[in-house]
Amino acid sequence: MTGMPNEAWFTSLPPCAATVPCGQGRHTVRWEAGELQLASHADPEAELVLAALGGEKARCVEIAQTWRRHLADLTVLGIGPRSTADPVEVSWDDVDAAVQAAEGGGWGVPRHGAMRLASPPTAAIARARVFRGQYYREAGQDNQRRLDMLSLLALGPEFQVRLSGQVAAAYADRLDEPDEHGRNVRSVLTAALGGRLAPVAERWLGIDPDQVAVSLHRDAGWGSVELTGHGQQRRLLVSLPAWWLARVWACGLALTGRHLVVAVERAGWPDAQVLALRAPGAEPVSLSAHASDGPPGTGDAPHWEI
Amino acid sequence: MDREGAETYLRLLAEAAMRGSLAPAAEPRPPDTSRLMAVGHALTAVGALDPVIAEEILTDFRLAASVRQLHGDPSQGPGQGSGQGSGQAVPVAQWLGQGRAVLHRKPHPAPATAPSGSAPSGDAADQERADRFVPVGLTVPFRAGEISGELCLMSFAQTGTGARFVAAWAVRTPSLEPQLGYQHPGLIPFDLFTVTDDRGARYQLDHTPGSDMEWPNLISLSPAPPPSIRWLDVAPPYRQAVRVDLRPEGASRASACDAAQVSVDDTKLSPGEHLLVMLAERLLSWTPEFPHGGRPAGLVTGPPSGPWRTMAAGFGTIVAALEAADVLSPLSPVPARLAALCASMDLNGHGIAVPPAHDLPEPWLSLLAHYQRRKPEPTQMRDGYAALAVSLPELDGIRLTLLGLQHTQGRSALHVLAQGQTPEPRTGPLDIDLSFPVSLWLRDSGGRWHAARQDRCHRAEPESAIRLRLVPPLTRPAVWVEVLAGGRSAEVRARLPLHWRYPS
Repeated sequence: MTGMPNEAWFTSLPPCAATVPCGQGRHTVRWEAGELQLASHADPEAELVLAALGGEKARCVEIAQTWRRHLADLTVLGIGPRSTADPVEVSWDDVDAAVQAAEGGGWGVPRHGAMRLASPPTAAIARARVFRGQYYREAGQDNQRRLDMLSLLALGPEFQVRLSGQVAAAYADRLDEPDEHGRNVRSVLTAALGGRLAPVAERWLGIDPDQVAVSLHRDAGWGSVELTGHGQQRRLLVSLPAWWLARVWACGLALTGRHLVVAVERAGWPDAQVLALRAPGAEPVSLSAHASDGPPGTGDAPHWEI
Repeated sequence: MDREGAETYLRLLAEAAMRGSLAPAAEPRPPDTSRLMAVGHALTAVGALDPVIAEEILTDFRLAASVRQLHGDPSQGPGQGSGQGSGQAVPVAQWLGQGRAVLHRKPHPAPATAPSGSAPSGDAADQERADRFVPVGLTVPFRAGEISGELCLMSFAQTGTGARFVAAWAVRTPSLEPQLGYQHPGLIPFDLFTVTDDRGARYQLDHTPGSDMEWPNLISLSPAPPPSIRWLDVAPPYRQAVRVDLRPEGASRASACDAAQVSVDDTKLSPGEHLLVMLAERLLSWTPEFPHGGRPAGLVTGPPSGPWRTMAAGFGTIVAALEAADVLSPLSPVPARLAALCASMDLNGHGIAVPPAHDLPEPWLSLLAHYQRRKPEPTQMRDGYAALAVSLPELDGIRLTLLGLQHTQGRSALHVLAQGQTPEPRTGPLDIDLSFPVSLWLRDSGGRWHAARQDRCHRAEPESAIRLRLVPPLTRPAVWVEVLAGGRSAEVRARLPLHWRYPS
């Protein structure tokens, strides 16, 4: 039906920006064409070298590093927003509070007063130290990941959606390999598709989102969308490729002009050519979509029209 | 088995739960963590999902749900909601410090040493040869100062991990009412008992090592006697010894072993069916935890409806998860039986898609009939015990030996020793115990069925001494019982004559 377009997945996304408390002021962090840009830091690499030598690391630079660390982190899809009706609101005050809590150690790690034994069991103490060390390491890693996630979420909904798109794109062509944590990529992306497509289907057809059953389409073509059954047995069976998450959903194209967009034939901003369904079971049609951006800095998703 | 299907199902369920927590409503719906946990347990119990992956999914779900509440309604303080997802604000430090979801209990620490009296280490074959199970059925009265009572020896069991009597006792002191049972073992003056064999060798009786309030009626004998001895004289302080005949053809042997009629039938349950059967039997035998309170309509003696309903509410999702993991056929009759069981107990909202079946297993029907009685059945049963020592054919790598039946204070218990490949202790969905994956039922000579559910367990690898509570308890001294033990691959039936003994 349609081949994969040559443009990068994010070609249908406009640049976006957020302000970040950095040093004594607030700096602008921009996303454009798949890259994070630090307008107020001319040479972030040099700043990293200085930070490694004991200097203070600028928050903007930290965020750019964090962004890069999580470009292929499937957890992003589990925590990030599913739709515009699902805002994940995190402020920089939240991030600061979390950093303070982490530095204060007031989370998670059990602390016990020292106990004295008449005859200290050295083997048991050694085992306890190993266990405790492992516990601290794991707890520390968990908390670093959570701090990272909080910082990325604090960039706002436009960045949240773009990061989700980046992660989906990172795995869309390698569904059969587990990620670095051993997670089944196909399972994660199927769930990500289900979580994002169900609310779209609800707006499209008025169907109960729990009646939407999704699967990842593997073969050539855009996939399939069928409506079966009646009443409680009604099901919308949707099979779409993993790329849909990046090229369509992350670009705000999923429901355009009362059509379900199933693929992007020619990506672009503010004009794109999409393949869209008017109704389940129908043949998709090629449509021209035109976007109008929300007011700058409001975090509104692009609004596309046929 | 479709492991990817299992993981995908749990992740999609988490997405559905997220939608529930996000849906605009007058009252925010809390994320359904309990259902996720139940399904995670079910999929790990049948081996379709790695527990670590399941825990990661649950942890990510909790993080995702709670990060959306960082700016929740501050008017609802933490004490006013029902936990995460109830709409109240979550402090950021609390979000950050959430622990990982824990799906499986850590194994109970095994005793550091085998019970005293354990046989010298040797190969497994030697230990197998050393196994000796003897029905005893003797009451040993004792007195030491102001403490007196009776030690009721139900059976003798000697395996590679040691020798022990399975026993009940009644202890009298000036301040204690005597009751046959397992209370106050520390008051029995074991150190004043003498035990000698036919060659004059002496032995010590003691509580099971590591004994606590949960110990299952075991009295260890140390050192382990050699296999060739014919009898043991058990002498309480200042009293005549009672002789325990250990010969295979011994006169004291109750005829239970020889008269047991044992049959084996193939069952070939899938892992999913087996799990559902365990869940159904858990539902049926849940009574002891909830002896009072409101009950589902029509049930007179069942548990209160709240916990029951909560438990049953996850069944449909578990069935769907097992089908997604390809460990339960869509054509299996077991989900329909589970649906029928729920319907019989007036438990709606179980979510099982198939219509209820009409052919419930006979033991289930018997227990349902018990629950539906209009008034409690009068008991004609005195406190007593029946000696047993019957080894059943192996079931899924587990060999069960029945070591005694006991009725005390209106409760009945079956004592068994499980040897072989018992899984490590861990909890399954809806709190079922996966370490004893055998379904056990007793039919008494009056034709009533009793579910035998695990009450206490003493684990000493590679075996577990288990006390199983009978639900409902016996109401008459049955002259025989039929034991039905079901595993995944087969079920065993054994009909055993009983000789009840009653301490004074």
